[in-house]
Amino acid sequence: MIQLRQLSKSFGRQQVLKSIDLTVNQGDVVVILGPSGSGKTTLLRCINYLEKPSGGEIAIGDYRVNCSRASKKDIHTLRQKTAMVFQQYNLFRHKTALENVMEGLVIVKKIPKEEAKARSIALLEKVGLAGKLDAYPSQLSGGQQQRVGIARALALEPEVILFDEPTSALDPELVGEVLEVIRKIAKEGITMIVVTHEMGFARDVANHAVFMDGGVIVEEGSPAELLYHPREERTKQFLKRITPEPSYSI
Amino acid sequence: MFVGAPFDFSFVISAFSKLWSTLGITLLIVGGSLLTGILIGFLIAFPRLYRIPVLEQFSKVYVSFFRGTPILIQLFLFYYGLPELLKLVHLDISRAPVLFFVILTYGLHTGAFMSEMIRASVTAVDRGQVEAAYAIGMKGHQAFTRIVMPQALAVAVPVFSNMVIALLKDTSLAFTLGVMELTGKAQTLGALTQHFIEAYLALAFIYLVVSFTLEKLLRAAERRLLKHEQSDGAERRKFRIERKPSLRAMFAGIGAEKGGAKL
Amino acid sequence: MKIDPSFIWTAFVQLLSAIPTTLMITAVSVSVGFVIGVITALFRLYRIPVLGQISTAYVTFIRGTPMLTHLLLIYFGLPVIIDGLSGWFGWGFKSASIPMIAFAYISFSITAGAYMSEVVRSGLLAVNRGQLEAAYSIGMTTFQALRRIVFPQALAFSLPNLSNSAIGMLHGSTLAFTVSVVDINAKAQIVASTNWKFFEAYVAAAVIFWGLTVLIERLTARLEKRIQLYNRGGVA
Repeated sequence: MIQLRQLSKSFGRQQVLKSIDLTVNQGDVVVILGPSGSGKTTLLRCINYLEKPSGGEIAIGDYRVNCSRASKKDIHTLRQKTAMVFQQYNLFRHKTALENVMEGLVIVKKIPKEEAKARSIALLEKVGLAGKLDAYPSQLSGGQQQRVGIARALALEPEVILFDEPTSALDPELVGEVLEVIRKIAKEGITMIVVTHEMGFARDVANHAVFMDGGVIVEEGSPAELLYHPREERTKQFLKRITPEPSYSI
Repeated sequence: MFVGAPFDFSFVISAFSKLWSTLGITLLIVGGSLLTGILIGFLIAFPRLYRIPVLEQFSKVYVSFFRGTPILIQLFLFYYGLPELLKLVHLDISRAPVLFFVILTYGLHTGAFMSEMIRASVTAVDRGQVEAAYAIGMKGHQAFTRIVMPQALAVAVPVFSNMVIALLKDTSLAFTLGVMELTGKAQTLGALTQHFIEAYLALAFIYLVVSFTLEKLLRAAERRLLKHEQSDGAERRKFRIERKPSLRAMFAGIGAEKGGAKL
Repeated sequence: MKIDPSFIWTAFVQLLSAIPTTLMITAVSVSVGFVIGVITALFRLYRIPVLGQISTAYVTFIRGTPMLTHLLLIYFGLPVIIDGLSGWFGWGFKSASIPMIAFAYISFSITAGAYMSEVVRSGLLAVNRGQLEAAYSIGMTTFQALRRIVFPQALAFSLPNLSNSAIGMLHGSTLAFTVSVVDINAKAQIVASTNWKFFEAYVAAAVIFWGLTVLIERLTARLEKRIQLYNRGGVA
């Protein structure tokens, strides 16, 4: 279970996250929605310390980190308990798909090569890329790269996987294949926090939705509640803007 | 102004073989200076990459000086000046071999260019690569050696290649300090036999052969290091992130040549 | 022998008289080199038979050999050629009457020409082909298109490389001392050996060159701003 308490982050004088409180239970699929600049990506990146929070507390399982006094070991532990899937995939360009997935297992988790290889092959099969084990990222399409990225995250068996707008950089026809994979692993009960604009996904797969704006959590609840019966005005405004108006053409 | 003996092409051939034996010294200077230069390059690039306060300024000044003054002046400066400076701290190196000063000076000189190359190639590696490395739990040094450096290396090779060849050509100046490398030997040969033109033609030819060979070797190395960048055809179009122009063009701006004295 | 800091200033003042020589050598080699560079670059880009190949051979030769070698070849080779031609055509012109500095001018221009050729070539190649096509489509002749559309953009792109080449020639001009031309370097050697203060003299020389180099770079930066290069990209 992940717990964020009073999490804050400022860039200079601008406060991007204002005392966020959030609880994510085991097996939850949490979707974070919000306009750009709302701080949702920053929030995600604070959890694995790719951004350094200015204050607050992060707890993953029993491990608590006080952000104003986080040691190197704390940061390293947090990163080992989490995994991230990036908007720009960020696959290691000089390594094949298989090597990308194996890297974390061999170097970070210190698992013997043979076992790591077997596990990685299984994962790449799971995401549908069994035939691309020896391909380099430059030879793969965006959707394929992202699926490798998901396999890489899965390999680490983290307590939570963080998804930073996983489909935003993809061509529309490739979005589907990636969402399929995410749907699949969500069904397996993996804890996920997903920042996304894909409303359909939020509605069908997530079991908890959070709306952020201006650095605070404006509203949260089940996806059905948030999307169809928003309580706050700001939430309503946002949803109106991104849901296409029905249009009648002559 | 003298003309010397009448032109004799066969002498070019014999000069060539006589010069060949001196190639070792030239390559020794190149090798020694490269090693020194790479070490110094890292030392100087480090403070700038990690933004260490005082040292960063020092690095900038260092690079500016060594790229902003001619190598010939540097050679004289260090050869005559360093022993004097060190005498002030009671170190006497006036009896050190000339080669020491030569390799030291070329090393310091090359180091400045190397540090710029290191800086640029490391910053050229997409930040996302480092983030992904951290995200899977790698520590700083692991991320650097396993992820950043291999990719930075591949991008740096064309620039490195230019630098090596420039260094090779710069070694021709070492004769002014009395080092018997290629150019010095050619001059001696010319003076002895009065066949200056032939000697210098042979000299030019040797330099051409060596620089050509070096360039070929380094280009092969570049291909090996970049074998993961196989973006071709259909894949390229779907490939959204990188819009970088050809890597060589990207680095044309660094200027392995002179300049870069900006403070 | 102790270090005498006050002599650095004395040396500096004495070296000032040699600055014009150095600047002249640099200016001549860069300008003539630029012209040679443009001509050879065009020969290569348009693949003009014979001249194109000669240009490529020229560039490869020059770039693969040290500048000093060029100087030595010209210094010893040119008189032979000139005397030979002079005898053949009955010019009555003896190579002994060529001033030393001419060898520097000629040799350095030839050196600069090859490097400039590369700079100009890459600058021209960097201009999108579409620009030329658009120029043709509005009815411009090749000459007009090159002059009004391609060259200005190529110039903007190659400015940093041109600047680096100029600085390279500035530094290379120090070789002139080998042909008895009194540039800053030669003067420094004279001052040093006359006063037996080597370190101080060379420090002064280094400072002068450093200053000149920084000056060229500042000027280039200002030029760049004026041409408003907001689309340069790259890492430098």
